[in-house]
Amino acid sequence: MIDLVASSAALQLLASSPDAWLWVIPGLMIGLVFGAMPGISITMAMAIFLPATLYMDFLPAIIFLTSMYTGAGFGGSVPAILMNIPGTSSAVATTFDGYPMARDGRHNEAMGVALTSSVFGMLLSYSVLFLVISPLADIVLGIGPLEMLVIALWGILLLGSLAGKHMTRGILAGIFGLILGTVGMNTAGYMRGTMGVPWLLDGIPVVPAMMGLLAASQLFNLVNSNFLVEDESKRGINAGKIFYGFRLAFKHPIVILRGSFIGVFIGAIPGVGSSISNLLSYAYTKRGDDNPETFGEGNPKGVVAAESANSSSEGGAMATMLALGIPGGGATAILLAAFAMHNIVGGPSFIANNQEIVYAILFSNFAQGILLLGVGLGFVFVASSVVRVPLRYLVPTVLSVACFGAYAVDGSMAGPITLFVFSVIGWMMARYGYPVAAVVVGLLLGGLVETQLLRSNQVSGGDFTYLFDRPAAMAIIGVIVFSMAFTAWAKRRRKRRELTAASR
Amino acid sequence: MTNYSRRTVLKFAAAGAASTVLTPTMLMAQGNGWPERPLNMVVPFATGGYNDRLARAFIPFLQEELGQPLSVANRPGAGTQLGNTYFLQQPNDGYTLKCNSVAPYIPLTILLQDAPYSAEDFQMINLPSRDFTLAAAPGDTDLESMEEVISRLRQDPRSLSLGVQPASADYLNLMLMLDAAGIDSSEIRLVTYDGGGPARNAAAGGHVDVAFVGGEGFLPLIDRIKPLMAFSDNRVDVYPDTMSSGELSESIGEEVESVEGSQRGWVVSKAFVDEHPDRYEILVDAIERATKNPECIEALEEQQLATTWYGPEQSQEDYLANFESLERHIDLLRES
Repeated sequence: MIDLVASSAALQLLASSPDAWLWVIPGLMIGLVFGAMPGISITMAMAIFLPATLYMDFLPAIIFLTSMYTGAGFGGSVPAILMNIPGTSSAVATTFDGYPMARDGRHNEAMGVALTSSVFGMLLSYSVLFLVISPLADIVLGIGPLEMLVIALWGILLLGSLAGKHMTRGILAGIFGLILGTVGMNTAGYMRGTMGVPWLLDGIPVVPAMMGLLAASQLFNLVNSNFLVEDESKRGINAGKIFYGFRLAFKHPIVILRGSFIGVFIGAIPGVGSSISNLLSYAYTKRGDDNPETFGEGNPKGVVAAESANSSSEGGAMATMLALGIPGGGATAILLAAFAMHNIVGGPSFIANNQEIVYAILFSNFAQGILLLGVGLGFVFVASSVVRVPLRYLVPTVLSVACFGAYAVDGSMAGPITLFVFSVIGWMMARYGYPVAAVVVGLLLGGLVETQLLRSNQVSGGDFTYLFDRPAAMAIIGVIVFSMAFTAWAKRRRKRRELTAASR
Repeated sequence: MTNYSRRTVLKFAAAGAASTVLTPTMLMAQGNGWPERPLNMVVPFATGGYNDRLARAFIPFLQEELGQPLSVANRPGAGTQLGNTYFLQQPNDGYTLKCNSVAPYIPLTILLQDAPYSAEDFQMINLPSRDFTLAAAPGDTDLESMEEVISRLRQDPRSLSLGVQPASADYLNLMLMLDAAGIDSSEIRLVTYDGGGPARNAAAGGHVDVAFVGGEGFLPLIDRIKPLMAFSDNRVDVYPDTMSSGELSESIGEEVESVEGSQRGWVVSKAFVDEHPDRYEILVDAIERATKNPECIEALEEQQLATTWYGPEQSQEDYLANFESLERHIDLLRES
């Protein structure tokens, strides 16, 4: 629980070196730029700047690196909205409504909504963290294969809501994605579907495949247009509209709160959390809405749902790192290395021994979140100018950037080749009315479901009563069943209301 | 006005061009001659892992010795096979070094994935980081000792769940132990993990009864686990109170063989050593001086990274010995 002595010590620590704060703005900007470049991960950016922090004091070094991390959390949403390219797997759901909004000339609002929801989600997640950092870490460690399996299956259930007009094609596309997700060496050491290509041993490279499916398939559709936004009068960059987006985000308090809480708890799971949390939040918002058919056409609620969930998972990942010394991903591994350089070793004893540092990091992240609102506004303002670039320049540029990004993921031709193959698949699917997003979700979750199913089977020895020893898994199943039942009930009620309204 | 003939002008131009090209080279030749341009360090893992951190921490000190900058190139994938292949494809001029967990990854990619290279294609310069397999139970376990694990498994091989990474040195150590204790390995309840980190978390979180993973990575989690045994002939320094597999051999009266969990460090290609023995000497000297540099030792120890100097002969010998024992037990590994 909150330690007031340590909190005030943390505030003193932060106040004692005001120059440390000078690093926040450059850190945020580096994070935004690297996060917005598809394929270039924030881990790479942090690895590049890590040696420089060796010569800084501890606090400036950590503030600089965490600012980059914070900035990148939002940076990935910019290309997702403007070009339908999710910079990371956690920005997939942002493309669903963000990009249609941009094409409709509402790019200013979309960016404003995304930025506000992002910052709100992040602030909320750090507040929750401040209250329950130690217990949260224990919860994360207690999540076993069965719980992970149930969460992943929860993610798969939402494939249905991505199906679009034809349910059968949606399911087919989802299954195709799931099968693609199992390519490579599985957790028990068996190799499937690699066709003897060593690059496929680790599975299909997800980021290039995702860029190909979502972005390239869209870009080909743009060949007959002159500008991203057809209506010239809407092509402006308007600070007023961005601010309108700020307010728009808070018009849906339930959506933003639900997204943030899904982000904090699902996102805290190391490695997989953030890519599921944004999809879950999106699916629930869509299902529970009175007009689910407006989602995917540019409904700002979809952007709110996705963005509040993906940036609040940042705090969750930070908790596992601070409390357990377990890096949830590459970026937190770099942060741990930075701690180590300054003689601070992560792990369970870290919180107990360095409470004021932990709180100082949380407080500084809080401040970074608020500053991100300002820095992000400037960044969005500049980035939005791509809507004014004629498509005959924009499309080839974006394709080249996507190619470079795909190459940068591993530094090999496997990336660009994957991008090309999946561009063709994505274009063909879009051409014949199959939902591309379902393939992306399947690809992201396929390997995860298989791994956790196999591991649950191994741990339980094939005994189904194992489920009754895992109250958390039963609770999650309960939540799933309840929410499905609730959705069905809400749908029926809505239909009935429509019927009575029609008969009147 | 002075008249310059065309030839004079050309001469001056040539001299000028030559001086710009040659001066820096000559200056450097006064230092140590080679290397003349920046070098690359291939790391066949993603950013943030042990090898990546080791390379990035060590490079500033190696740069000082070589007088040329070094940059890291991460080439992750396929259990280091992609990185190793890429590394061997580079020109044999010594401008490309590698920092890698040679054991168990080079042997495993060769033996299990038919990687297009052989163990002898690589020459170790130094392998400072050595790790051993640690058998660890969750902190709140009711298991008292490794002997108890053995006796319970002898009674009922399915009574305990065992977490391990398949196709790894840890897996081989587990199989060798079960073999020595006369436990049927096809009967056990094995839980497989994709990497050391998840397997360690599974032990700390109580999802498996015993996990078999590299021991050094367990140190940050020490409060949440109960170390049962280190796979080593003698007790290891970092876990002085934990029994070794050598001690287990005595107590069960059967020899429990063990292999080194991992060996990490600096590697060049054999083809380069044959082609440029002089440059190889320069590299070995530079890495030795950097490894023994007190500042480097301090900086790396702060980050819990290893800096011991074993030298090329010892390192190569240990690496080939590890390869040989993995090759000998390949059937045990294939089963996974």
